Amino acid sequence: MATASRIARVVVCDAGPLIHLDELDSLRLLCDFPSVLVPEVVWAEAERHRPHLFDTSSPSFARVTPQHPPRPALAALSRLMPLHSGETQALQIAEEHGADLLLTDDTAARLAARELQLPVHGTLGILLRAIRRGQRSAQQVLDLVRAIPERSTLHIKPSLLLEVMAEVERTLG
Amino acid sequence: MTTSIRAEIPDRLVQQAAILVHDGWASDLDEILIDALRRYLSSHSAELSETFVREDLEWGLRGDG
Repeated sequence: MATASRIARVVVCDAGPLIHLDELDSLRLLCDFPSVLVPEVVWAEAERHRPHLFDTSSPSFARVTPQHPPRPALAALSRLMPLHSGETQALQIAEEHGADLLLTDDTAARLAARELQLPVHGTLGILLRAIRRGQRSAQQVLDLVRAIPERSTLHIKPSLLLEVMAEVERTLG
Repeated sequence: MTTSIRAEIPDRLVQQAAILVHDGWASDLDEILIDALRRYLSSHSAELSETFVREDLEWGLRGDG
């Protein structure tokens, strides 16, 4: 059952979650958001990995390009981390549009988002959120989480994945 | 102790690095490569990745939005 919590209105997505959710046949979990902004560079990267990813009209993806050069703080972080162009553009779009949520699976990009005080989560968060939002049952999500190593290119340490599944079972079982 | 590695690096990056060395910002290409690897590893550490997985777990199950 969906809770009454406020849904993120402005969501920006990096390539990782798009690709990983598609690999897990779970892209539709993003339908819970009014629209998902996909930076131009990210769009091309995701399409290169998953050519039919954007064929669907649902979720509602919007292809966007940055309107200004990156702020000095972001430009510096991008060089220091270092970040790829897609990750930098995702952070830039998130800043420009005042994103409620940035989705990325890249550790450096998440670190940069934290520095820029942008709310950020990844594929795993979206999968687990599906239980809270009533999109999937706990068992369905556990099956997806268990399938991550075989069905997706998302890398999570096996022992940590077991810990995640145990926590889901403990909390919701 | 050090290990020698062989890597294919785009010419453009090598040229940019050579300019830094020529201008005195780094002593040699090795120093630049070691620094680049160190920075990459510090921003992609296992500890950090684990922290983010735990943040996703908490937000996914009990978060808001």
